[in-house]
Amino acid sequence: MNDSAKENLRELLAGFMDAGSARQAAEDIERGNTLLRQWPAPQPGDAVLAEVKKKVTATVRRRHKIALQRRIWAVAGVAAAIVIVSALALTLSERQPVEKTTIKYAAAIPERVWEGSDITKDDADIVVLVAEVETIENELSAVRLDDTGGNGSTAVGDLETELIEIGGDFWKG
Amino acid sequence: MAQRDLEQVIIGCKRGDEACFSQLVEIYGKRCFGYFFRLTGSRTTSEDLLSELFVKLVEKIGTYRGGSFDGWLFATASNIFHDHLRFKQRQTRLLDEHSQRIRSQPASTEKQDDGDADRLQDALKQLDSDVRELIMMRYYSQLSFKEISQLRREPIGTTLSKVHRGLKRLRELMR
Repeated sequence: MNDSAKENLRELLAGFMDAGSARQAAEDIERGNTLLRQWPAPQPGDAVLAEVKKKVTATVRRRHKIALQRRIWAVAGVAAAIVIVSALALTLSERQPVEKTTIKYAAAIPERVWEGSDITKDDADIVVLVAEVETIENELSAVRLDDTGGNGSTAVGDLETELIEIGGDFWKG
Repeated sequence: MAQRDLEQVIIGCKRGDEACFSQLVEIYGKRCFGYFFRLTGSRTTSEDLLSELFVKLVEKIGTYRGGSFDGWLFATASNIFHDHLRFKQRQTRLLDEHSQRIRSQPASTEKQDDGDADRLQDALKQLDSDVRELIMMRYYSQLSFKEISQLRREPIGTTLSKVHRGLKRLRELMR
């Protein structure tokens, strides 16, 4: 083993003692180093170094694997977060505001008739429509006059009579 | 190995290059083994500590922020040795409490492999453990006194004095 501590030992020691003592101390240290060089420690066998390298390689690979797993987990986490956020955004965007109930008015006369430019055809349609309306009116009148029974009394009249009677019984107790 | 080449190896290690770590084992394996052996006196323990050191190196290489790599490496080696000592002391204490047979064995000495011990090892055992470690650190790490004193967070005068007295005592013991 070389004494490669690149420093002037005597100069260094002179900072703490007189020149003579520093020279003596430097010589003592150098002799001590020589002694250590004369009695070298045993060397590790090639098999030992090979075993150390094997363990080191295994550790490096294990760390690579752990780092890869961490990266995968991180990516998976980010992907999961993106999916969750997307799903939430989609759900929120699908929720429509409550529509107000509005009364829609419809024209008695079909729009195609009203807006149409073919007067002849429109007239024919109106005639049919008017005839239908008249038929309905007649039917209503017949119902009202109880035109189907033929005994002179009307269903409406009977109902009114009954109501009067019920009302009278109620007040009588 | 040139400093520039070593820097390239370290950069490779930081990238997680297996070949670069193998190169580090080649460069420092023998020196670190010698350091551990002279501190423990056991070949088997030194092999275990050497493995532990390089495995730790794989885990900690990212924390190396430049400066003396040898200093950083031997500071890690020193920490591993102290962890080992603490473990041994704890183990011995536990065994001591439960076994009369174990109690008869000295608590602070490392069991040495047969044939591993040499005269220097015997002489080193007689030095103060701190001085022994300091001498071994300087010899195997090849760091300067200034770097070692910074590593140990003690004045350079103290480091110089300890090494001087330790080596002088070692020579006396070896006569």
